Amino acid sequence: MPPGALHLLILRTLAFEPLHGYAIAQRIKIASGGVLNVEEGSLYPALQRMLMKGWVEADWVQVGAKRRTRVYRLTPDGQRRLAVELETFQRTTNAILRVIQPAEAS
Amino acid sequence: MKTLWRRLQVLFRRERFDRELREEMECHRYLMEQEGLEQGARPDEAARQAAIHFGNPTALAETSRESWGWGPLERLLQDLRYAARTLRKSPVFTLTVIAVLALGIGANTAAFSALRAVILRPLAFPDAERIVLVNARHSSGRNGGTGIADFLDWRAQNTVFDSMAIFPWIGGYTLTGEGDPQRVKIASTTYGFQDVLGFQPTLGRFFSEAEDRPGGPRVTLISYEAWQRRYHGEAGILGRNVVLDGVPHTVIGVLPERFSLIGAPPCDFWRPLAAEAAGARRLQHQYSVLGRLKAGVSMERAQSDMTAIARRLEQAYPDTNRGWGIAVAPVSSMILDMAERPIVVLACAVGFVLLLACANVAGLMLARGSARTQEMAIRASLGAGRWRIMRQVLTESVLLAVLGGTLGAVVANWLMAALRAVSPADFALDASLRLDGAALGFALGLAVLTGLGFGVAPAWYASRADVSAGFLKTRSGHVSRGRAMSALVAAEVALSMVLLIAAGLLTKDLALLARTSVGIRVERVLTFALDLPAAKYGNAGQVERFYDGLLGRMRAAPGVEAAAGVDTLPMKGAYSGGPFEIEGRVRPADWMDVTSQYIVCTPGYFSTLGVPVLAGRDFDGRDTAQAPLVAVVSEPLARRYFAGEDPFGRRIRFRGAWRTVVGVAGPVKRFARRREADPQIYTPAAQSEESSLWLVARTTGDPLAAAQTAREAVRELDGELPLIALGTMEEVRNRSLTEERVMAWSLTGFSGFALAIAATGIYGVIAWAVSRRTFEIGVRLALGASRGDILRMVLGRGVWLAVVGALAGLPLALGAAQGLSALLYGVSMQDPLVFAGVPAVLLAAAGLASYLPARRASRLDPSVALRAE
Repeated sequence: MPPGALHLLILRTLAFEPLHGYAIAQRIKIASGGVLNVEEGSLYPALQRMLMKGWVEADWVQVGAKRRTRVYRLTPDGQRRLAVELETFQRTTNAILRVIQPAEAS
Repeated sequence: MKTLWRRLQVLFRRERFDRELREEMECHRYLMEQEGLEQGARPDEAARQAAIHFGNPTALAETSRESWGWGPLERLLQDLRYAARTLRKSPVFTLTVIAVLALGIGANTAAFSALRAVILRPLAFPDAERIVLVNARHSSGRNGGTGIADFLDWRAQNTVFDSMAIFPWIGGYTLTGEGDPQRVKIASTTYGFQDVLGFQPTLGRFFSEAEDRPGGPRVTLISYEAWQRRYHGEAGILGRNVVLDGVPHTVIGVLPERFSLIGAPPCDFWRPLAAEAAGARRLQHQYSVLGRLKAGVSMERAQSDMTAIARRLEQAYPDTNRGWGIAVAPVSSMILDMAERPIVVLACAVGFVLLLACANVAGLMLARGSARTQEMAIRASLGAGRWRIMRQVLTESVLLAVLGGTLGAVVANWLMAALRAVSPADFALDASLRLDGAALGFALGLAVLTGLGFGVAPAWYASRADVSAGFLKTRSGHVSRGRAMSALVAAEVALSMVLLIAAGLLTKDLALLARTSVGIRVERVLTFALDLPAAKYGNAGQVERFYDGLLGRMRAAPGVEAAAGVDTLPMKGAYSGGPFEIEGRVRPADWMDVTSQYIVCTPGYFSTLGVPVLAGRDFDGRDTAQAPLVAVVSEPLARRYFAGEDPFGRRIRFRGAWRTVVGVAGPVKRFARRREADPQIYTPAAQSEESSLWLVARTTGDPLAAAQTAREAVRELDGELPLIALGTMEEVRNRSLTEERVMAWSLTGFSGFALAIAATGIYGVIAWAVSRRTFEIGVRLALGASRGDILRMVLGRGVWLAVVGALAGLPLALGAAQGLSALLYGVSMQDPLVFAGVPAVLLAAAGLASYLPARRASRLDPSVALRAE
């Protein structure tokens, strides 16, 4: 996964509806047809970072009888960030595409 | 901003943060496990897969926490927790270090506060850099005071000062009508004083120009402290009458709290100087002058303006002003005059003690570090970087130092209380010397600095711990560590040498001073002062009758051999004097070249104090106010100004009158530490208007036993007169040596402390070396070395350290002695006894300190020693 893409993926996933960590990972896996596998080791640090930046907020929800987990949702700041990241990503991707497929681009 | 807030929340709610993260991850793992179950895995297999997949939750939690950016701080906390745990495990080491540092830092904080109280206090006024000293300066380089008439001219003619004022002139007055009559200190100044300093009275107002005139209304301001102490801070103080020297003064204001100036002791009352501007008073060079520069006026411009004024005055009054210029100087120049004062010496001494303490603690930490080589090796092999290990050791030393510094603040508070108690009353340390924010900050800063200072070497060695060497416990690395420890100990010896030499010189000098006679016999002399208020003793006859009556009563009292009066007591510090003329001599161009101290005394003064009358006679009943005016001159005056001639019968003129010399008295020095007695002219009290005299009475027994007699004699004549400073001449002498004594004693104390530290340092490094060299000593013993050889070898090493340290300390000590030389009276700064004795003491201490480990080494059992490693 290209660096920086993780934030974009998480923000994009959360843009549809608030989700907890496991669901975010699942959603990304399914949506990418099983190609993108978000490791817990990078998912949670990323979520903490986004909490710190104020892009997402979290609420506790009950899971099963004994367990709780946090459900993350996008803040207005997060939405703005998503737009920025999407823009950047598209520009970068197009640029990369132009480099690796010069014939088609011309 | 919000981000910072969120980050802080994480920082301060770490536990909750960790718990929540764990809960969240546990849920994640659980959901994973559920998914496994749904896909048909066996329950235990699903749990195992989920756990494997999930990995180490602690590591994960740590990484997540790192995202908040508190990593370095968290590591610091971790280091601190670890350091605290390690230090708790070796309480003796920890307590020793903390105690040594607390004393060092405490003493330095106290010294810092004392210096600050003395030096920085006078500048605590708005735009203080514009406040300057303006003083008369003679072309001979002599820095005189300023005559009041000159001051008035300066003030009227200058264009560079916003305002000028006389530096507070302190005098003693008798306060009556408030219970028993009391002596109070009163500061007199001129009306511009308030504008020069720029302060506002707490209550009421400062005096005006109209009140600062001869014959003007009698007004006074009271100090805040006296207002609280005497009048309980009542607002009704304004308008109240207080009787000073028998004259009622109206209180018009209360000065600000803790109002004080450098060089001016705290005074209860302040009053206008109301000076007469008579021309004759140009000669009385007694006042200092303060000025506030106009905004934007430089020191140089002020100087040139004042120089022009001085030139004009020289032309207008050549008799009195020839050769006199004016010097403008920053107030801080007053502080430079104090560079040789004891407080500076003491500040240096405590600085040395702290350095020594640092070296000692560094040595202790190095020794301890060598015992922890294995620990460091384990840390290094587990992947701790060099920097990480260094930081760990530094954290430990800074933690130690901060603990020491905290305790040091307590010690400082304590030392300052002691300093306040012993500081002479006219040296106003009292109020401003306290443990304030600046002192606390200083202590803390010093602690951190010392912590880093003594931690650097140990940290360096710890970080170099060789993984294999640590495990194998070989001696590699110990050699250079041992060398560093030895160097530190030698430095300790060198530093203690400096302190010991300084203490030795000052103590020897003090002993010499205490034995030095100023020219009088001090045993069995009772002294006290009287100040007859002008309101009651308006004319000379009344004053004379009073003292005649008193001396008659005293002389008649049992137990009193002789009694007399004098206006300035030897060793008391007071001085009045000036130029005089000799009849038949051409007056020298520079009249200041022929000067003398003037002393007023009653008949019998010389015999009472044992001053020999070398030629002619003492004063007696013939010398009344109506009789021809006479004087007795001192031997130094006769020698200096009548070289080869007989002064007897010659006439001299001073204070406007011609007097015939009727006698020559022996020299009397003003202080024991003065190398030579000043020229002195004595005049009989009956022919001088002097209402304040010191009474001296030689007694047959304990002089204080005659105190009651004196009190009764005074009361019989005047029930409202307090006896001032009742005591003995020996007390006067002892008090005149207070500064020297405080300095000698405290330096002795410091150097004793330094010696003890250095000795423990030597003991430490030798004991360490013995324990390191157990194997080698075993080999030597096995190969036939005698126990004496071993003893000598180890002992020799300790003494060698002391020799190296003493040699290194010698140039330092010589430098310190050079710095002290201005303070020494009779002891040479290269006094052979001190310079031989101190190294001897150091060597003895080193021998003693290394004897214990040496004996242990010599008693090693070779078979045990050889198995040691």
